[in-house]
Amino acid sequence: MARAGGMTNAVNVGIAVQADWENREFISNISLNVRRLFDFLLQFEATTKSKLAALNEKLDILERKLEVLEVQVSSATTNPSVFT
Amino acid sequence: MQQLGPERPAMTFDEVSLERSKSFVQALQELKNLRPQLYSAADYCEKAYLHSEQKQMVLDHLKEYAVRALVNAVDHLGTVTYKLTEISEQQSSDISTVELKISCLSQQILTCQTFADKEGLRQQQLSSRTTPRHKKHYILPSPIHKRLENISNLPKDNRSSHVQSMPLPQSYGTLAPKTLSWHLASDNSPAPSKESWTSLLVEDSRDRNVTMNSLPPSEHGAPMSLSSHLQAAKGNGTSVEDEMEAKKSLSEFKSFDKSVRGEISQPPPRSKNIISALFPRNKNFKPKRVPVS
Repeated sequence: MARAGGMTNAVNVGIAVQADWENREFISNISLNVRRLFDFLLQFEATTKSKLAALNEKLDILERKLEVLEVQVSSATTNPSVFT
Repeated sequence: MQQLGPERPAMTFDEVSLERSKSFVQALQELKNLRPQLYSAADYCEKAYLHSEQKQMVLDHLKEYAVRALVNAVDHLGTVTYKLTEISEQQSSDISTVELKISCLSQQILTCQTFADKEGLRQQQLSSRTTPRHKKHYILPSPIHKRLENISNLPKDNRSSHVQSMPLPQSYGTLAPKTLSWHLASDNSPAPSKESWTSLLVEDSRDRNVTMNSLPPSEHGAPMSLSSHLQAAKGNGTSVEDEMEAKKSLSEFKSFDKSVRGEISQPPPRSKNIISALFPRNKNFKPKRVPVS
């Protein structure tokens, strides 16, 4: 009888250990996916920042060009005799 | 409707941009709302595992919920990133179109400037051709200017002694008005003097070939007034041919001036008789007898 009890205890421990291992594997998988998601977010942030900086630089250049054109047009309108 | 017609393309463009921005904001808001939902779900699962008897079943349900929550979070992040990239691409395309338009405007302005510069250069060239280069003062001739030039061509000693400005005495009759000096004297005639009379006579003696014998004896004493000489000259009458002869004589006089200068530099003797003063100066000439009327 004692031997049967010992056998059941060993089986239960084995089952518990196996379940534990499964749980741990599940948790590792979840954590791994969360970390991959975190890496994706970091990469997305870097690329978005670079794109926005390039757009900002282009906008600054265009703004300066527009200012120059505005000055030229204003000078032309103030002196129409140049074009007559 | 007609008013909205031309505005539709602009409105549609704005509407699309507005819709994109709205969807992006909505997705971002939903992603932000996931955090409290996940926190509440985690609290519920913890209490249920602690208080319930069927812990295995709670654990299984918890695992399924965790997987679904993770998938939901990934889905939301995907939509947010997709919408953000779409908006950035649209803005970059808009900036490129604006850049093209600005380059077109700059090229147009550059062409206008080059055209204006070329037109200005052409007008400047035309004005340089049409407008005179020198002042009129130096271009326009005048009879007085010519006379002044002729005077300037003569040597300086004669100018200082007022030789050319002095008229000749009336005794020389028709020969008096023929010389250029006489004509100049008619224009600018100061008061005569003995020295000027003698020097005048020295000048004109060679041109006229007048001998001392032809000199009338009535010239003893002081010389006559200028006005009387002018009237006599006008009465005799002058001609253009006489002036031309006088000019030729002046050119001859230039060569003769050097030889006569030594004699002219010293003033004549103080004898009042003009004829006596002429004798020493006419030795170099070959006198010709000219009838004097």
